[in-house]
Amino acid sequence: MEEQKPTEGQASISRRNFLAIGTLSIGGVIGVGIGLPSLVYLVGPSLQANAVQEWIRIGSASKVEIGVPTLYKVKTERRVGWNVTEEELAVYVLTENGSDFTAVSNICTHLGCRVRWIDGKDQFFCPCHNAVFAKNGEVVAGPPPKPLEKYPVKVENDQLYILVGG
Amino acid sequence: MGSRIGIWIDERAGWRSVWGAIFLRKIPKVNWFYTLGSATLFTAMLQMITGILLTIYYVPTPDQAYESVQYITTQLPMGWLIRGLHHWGASAMVILSVLHMLRVIFYGAYKFPREITWFTGVILLIVVIGFGFTGYLLPWDQKAFWATTVGTRIAGVAPLVGDTILKVMRGGEELSAITLVRFFGVHVWVLPITLLILMGIHLYLVIRNGISAIPTKGK
Repeated sequence: MEEQKPTEGQASISRRNFLAIGTLSIGGVIGVGIGLPSLVYLVGPSLQANAVQEWIRIGSASKVEIGVPTLYKVKTERRVGWNVTEEELAVYVLTENGSDFTAVSNICTHLGCRVRWIDGKDQFFCPCHNAVFAKNGEVVAGPPPKPLEKYPVKVENDQLYILVGG
Repeated sequence: MGSRIGIWIDERAGWRSVWGAIFLRKIPKVNWFYTLGSATLFTAMLQMITGILLTIYYVPTPDQAYESVQYITTQLPMGWLIRGLHHWGASAMVILSVLHMLRVIFYGAYKFPREITWFTGVILLIVVIGFGFTGYLLPWDQKAFWATTVGTRIAGVAPLVGDTILKVMRGGEELSAITLVRFFGVHVWVLPITLLILMGIHLYLVIRNGISAIPTKGK
């Protein structure tokens, strides 16, 4: 039935439709050609991991009281993009026997406020939403989803080092 | 499905008649020179997109401008492409606008009833050159610094008011942080808004008056 004019198949697309499809296709190619790189450009730095891992010296190990988390503060340089900023890193170091050390961050795992060790109560407290953490960093009460972040610790010549980044 | 949504929106917004007025209007038999205006428009849109993307990372201060541009070009994925498009697009804008203007001149398309289209076009060309002049300083490298030193000095040659113009452009006697931020402000706020307003009028008039046919001999 459709065989009267075999070449009609190609001619059935009108000039108008051909131009419309052509314009849309070229526009689509340009749109994707700009759109995809733009997306990569926008999310680029968000996906780059903080790859540099380094041991940071935080101070003398003999200053840590046995059984009491002791606060150490160190200034570190952080390079983000084109900008170098000085940052203060605060960690609580704990030892029960004077030779094995653990270090936890003072950043509350709930929403990032700073927790404080309260001597009389022997717990960490966060002032923002009443989070309570135990001596070892485990959650005791309040909204935090996970324990305080732990840093790997090493001692060399009585100096404490923690591993940050990565 | 697409057409049902289209009808639903059209019943409330009447976009089909707007679409028809813009894209389905009658045009005389023309040639490829008539695409130069559209090419300029396309490049302008590209400049807007890439320009907005650049402001996501660019910092207009003397201590960070150069570093942030280097970061965009060398560290950021696709940053070289976005900056490259904006860089070359800037030259394309000037070239295409001028070619577009030449076509209008040679075909006498500026005559009645299209004088206002012509006036806005002339101001648009000045705006485009303003974009080029202010944008050139933003990378804050040696070439940018000295080109703007020279450029503002040229403006300073004008009789009587020259020195005042020079100081106003630089925001003081010398090129400084003030110069950089004001060039940035003009480049991303003042000129784009001016461009959009003028482009709106320009395009409205092109659609409202239709485009002129190629002139024939003896007419």
